[in-house]
Amino acid sequence: MVNQPKSMMKKLNRLISISITILLISCGQQKKDPSANVNQPYPSQSGGALVDAMSGEPSGLIAMMAGESSASAIASNIFNSLLKYDKNLELTGELAQSWDVSSDQKTITFHLKPNLKWADGHALTSDDVLFTWKTVTDDKTRSPYGADYKLVKKAEAPNSSTFKVTYEAPYAPALDSWSGLHILPKHLLQDQDINNTSFSRNPVGSHYYQLDQWKKGESITLKRNPNGTQGQAKIDRLISRIIPDRAAQFLELMADNIDSMSLNSIQYARIFPARPDLTAKIAQYKELGNSYTYLGFNLKRKPFDDVRVRQAINYAIDKQEIIDGVLLGLGLPVASPYKPGTRWSNPKLQPYPYDPQKAIALLKEAGFEDHDHDGILDKDGKPLSFEILTNQNKEREMSAVLVQRRLKEIGIDVKIRVVEWATFISRFIKTGDFNVVLLGWGLGLEPDQFNIWHSSQQAPGQFNFIGYHNTHVDQLLEAGRLELNPDKRMKIYHEFAEVLLADSPVVYLFAGYGLPAINKRVNGIDDPAPPAGIGHNSYEWYIPAPLRRNEMSAE
Amino acid sequence: MLKYLINRLFWMVPLLVGISLISFLIMHLAPGDITATEASFNPKTSEESRQKLRELYNLDKPVIVQYGLWLKRMSTLDFGHSFASHQSPVFWQETDKEGNVTKGMIQEALPITLLINVLSLILIIGLALPLGVISALTQNKLPDRSITIFVFIGFAIPSFWLALMLMYWTGVSHNWLPISGLHTLGAEKLSAFAQLLDTLKHLTLPILISGLTGLAGISLFVRNGMLDVLHQDYITTARAKGLPENTVVYKHALRNALLPLITIFGLSIPGLIGGSVIAESIFAIPGMGKLFYDAVLMRDFPVIMGILTIGSALTLIGNLLADLAYAWADPRVRKGVSQ
Repeated sequence: MVNQPKSMMKKLNRLISISITILLISCGQQKKDPSANVNQPYPSQSGGALVDAMSGEPSGLIAMMAGESSASAIASNIFNSLLKYDKNLELTGELAQSWDVSSDQKTITFHLKPNLKWADGHALTSDDVLFTWKTVTDDKTRSPYGADYKLVKKAEAPNSSTFKVTYEAPYAPALDSWSGLHILPKHLLQDQDINNTSFSRNPVGSHYYQLDQWKKGESITLKRNPNGTQGQAKIDRLISRIIPDRAAQFLELMADNIDSMSLNSIQYARIFPARPDLTAKIAQYKELGNSYTYLGFNLKRKPFDDVRVRQAINYAIDKQEIIDGVLLGLGLPVASPYKPGTRWSNPKLQPYPYDPQKAIALLKEAGFEDHDHDGILDKDGKPLSFEILTNQNKEREMSAVLVQRRLKEIGIDVKIRVVEWATFISRFIKTGDFNVVLLGWGLGLEPDQFNIWHSSQQAPGQFNFIGYHNTHVDQLLEAGRLELNPDKRMKIYHEFAEVLLADSPVVYLFAGYGLPAINKRVNGIDDPAPPAGIGHNSYEWYIPAPLRRNEMSAE
Repeated sequence: MLKYLINRLFWMVPLLVGISLISFLIMHLAPGDITATEASFNPKTSEESRQKLRELYNLDKPVIVQYGLWLKRMSTLDFGHSFASHQSPVFWQETDKEGNVTKGMIQEALPITLLINVLSLILIIGLALPLGVISALTQNKLPDRSITIFVFIGFAIPSFWLALMLMYWTGVSHNWLPISGLHTLGAEKLSAFAQLLDTLKHLTLPILISGLTGLAGISLFVRNGMLDVLHQDYITTARAKGLPENTVVYKHALRNALLPLITIFGLSIPGLIGGSVIAESIFAIPGMGKLFYDAVLMRDFPVIMGILTIGSALTLIGNLLADLAYAWADPRVRKGVSQ
C-alpha cells in the first residue's frame, strides 16, 4: 500500500537533487535584501531562538536507549556526562571537576563539581551517577551500549561528590566511555521502567537546555535551563524542525525559515558559489567529520590473504580522484583510522600514492599476469575478479564505480553490488559471505579499536568481520587498553597505525567534511572549525537583537 | 440481506488471519531484524547485548511461534509496542501509573493522513466529475482532447519534482505558502481560526499535488462510463421522448455512469490510511507513509504488522461496503435481473 522500494527512493532522491541543482543555479537572485546588515559586528548578548533542521525524529531522549543520531544530538543539549571532549578533542571534566587514576590503574575516582543541580532544582550527586551505571548495566535494560560499563567490577559513591569505579584490569578506554554516558536523575527514574518510561519524552537534565515542547513529527523546542551545571547559554531557545528531505530543508534555509542545516557537497560547492544572495546571508562552514570510508578485503579468502594483492589494489586506487569526484573536493585522504590533527593520528604516515605501475609489478610478483590476453589478470587459470559490496549510500556507490574503473585499468575485473542495510548486515557481514566491502568506520576520539582489528573479534556479529589477524597488532591493541597515560598510549597507537597501513587490510579512501550552513544572524562561531567542529562552543553563540527573527512572522 | 451480511463478516475473520500470516511470513523472509538496524555498526555495542535484545523481543524463537504470540496479543486487540521507537504503543495511547499518557504511533499519524487523503479525494471528485462529463459530451473534440492531455500530464508528471518546483515558487520566490511542515513555529499562540488557516495553508500544496496525480484515473472512468451509457437505447428513447438534453445527460445518463465509481471508492478506503512516502518526506508531514516506510527499514515488526492488519481489515470492509452500496444503487444487482 505504501511500500516504495528503497532503490526507487534512491533514484528519486538523485533526480530530486539534480533537478533542484539546475533550478537553483539557474534561478536568478530575486530575493529581497535582508533588512539588518548581518556583516557588521554586534556585541555578544543573550536571547533569541535558533531554528535548525534534522532529518529524523528521535524516538526518545535517553541516549542509551535510543539508537538514532538525532536522539543523541538533542539529548546532548539536555544531559551531561562526567567527562567531555574539548575543542581539541582532549578529555576534560564536565560534571566531574577532576579525576584520579590509582597507581595500579584499575580504579578511577571522579570528583564532581560542587553544587550541581538538576533542572527541577534537585541536587545532582554521585548517587545519580551510580544509579545511571546500575541502569545501563542492568540486564533488563534494552540498551546495546552496556558492554563498556559491565567491565566495572565495583562502582561506589562514598560521598555525594565522589564516584569511584574499579575495573578487573586496567582499561584505558574507560575514560572515553564515561564521556559517552548521560547521567540520569535517580529521583525521577528509580521507580520507573527505563524501557518505556515517559521520562524519555519528558526528560529532566542538567545541561544548558531543557525540553520546552515536543510536537510529534514536527519539532522539538528546547529552552534555557536556569540551573545548568555548565553555566548559561546565550541563545534562549533551540528549535529543531523535523524535515526528512534534504531538498526541502534547503528550500526552508533559502526562505529563511530555518537558520542551520548540514549541506551536501553539491549544495556547498555548486549552488552556494553560484548564488551571491545566499552567501550574503548564510555562512558556510567546513569541519572534518567523524568517519572515514574504506575498501575492506575478506582476508580469509584468496587472493586477499596475500599482502601484495592488497597493496597493489591500494596503489591502483586514486584517492584524490574519489575525493574530487564524489565529494567535490570536500574530503581528506587518511592514512590511519584516526582523525587527522588529533594526537592519535600519526603525522608521519602518508596514504598509498596512486601508482598503477607499482600495482602491476606487485601483482606480477604475486603471480597475477594476463596469460590468456583477455585483458584480465589471471593466476592458475583463474581470472582476478571480484565483487564490491556496499549499502545504499550515494557516496559509497559512486566511490565504488571509481574504484572499479581504476582497477579495470590494471586488469582487475570488478563488479558492484548494492544492498539494503539490514540485508547487508545479516546476509553478508554476519555470515562473512563477501569478497570486498566498501563501508565506513568512525574516526574514533578514543584510540582503542580492539573491537575492529583484534584477531579475537571475528565471531559472527563482531566487528573484525574482514578477519584481520596480525600478532603484532594484537599485542599493540592489548597494550593500548592497559595504558592510561596519554603520551605512552599515543606511541602505541602511532605504531599500530603504521603496521596497519603497511599491512593494508583495508584501503582508506577518504574522510569527508561535515558542511554546516548557518545563517549569519548567528554570531560567535569559530571559523575555521577546530578539530571538535564548530559546535564545541555553541553555548557562546549569540543572535544580536536586531537580527532576530520576528517570532510570528517566522513563516 | 442480513444473512448475506453476517455471512460476509464471518468469512472476514479467517481471511484476516490468512492475510496476517502471509504478511508475517513475508516480513520475516527479509533478512535482518531490529538488532541489525539499530546501532548495529557501532563498535561500542556488543553481540551479547544484541542477543539479549533478540531474546527480549522473542526474535530468537521460530517464526511460527512468534506469529502465535502476535496472534494471541491481537485476539485481545493489543497491537503491542514498537521495537525501534522506545516502546511506544503501536496503535492507541496508554497511560502509565503516574498518569502520563503516551500516544500511539498510528493514533498520531492516522488523523493527518486521513485529513489529507479525504480532502484530496474530495478535490479529485469535485474536479473529475465535471471534467469527465465534459470530455464525454465533447468526445474527440478539442475540450475532450485538452482535458485528456491535462489529466495525463498530471498523472505522468513526477510528483516530487512538481512538489519541489511549487515549493520553490510559492515558498521561496514568493512568500505565498509555507514550504513544509504542518504548523508555523509558535502557531499555538494564534487564535483558533488563524491556526486553522495556518494548517490549511500548510496542507494546500500536498493536497493539490496528490489531487492532480489522482485526477486522471477517476475522470477517465467518468468519461468512459458516460460514453457507454450515452450509447444505450434508453438514452435514445429519452431523447426521442423530447426530453431536454440536460435532463437526459444529468438525470438519466450520469446517474448510471456513476455506478462503477462505487467500486472505486470502496477500493480507495484502505488507500485513505496509506500515505505517500515521497510526498510525506518532501513536505515533512508525519503521516502513515513515512511511519510504515521507516518501520520497514528498521525491521520494526510490531509497527509493520499493525499497519498491515489495519490496512487489510479496511480493504475487506471497503470491498464489503462497495458490494452493499452497489446492491443498494443498482436494482439489477439487488434483484438479480439479467440483462
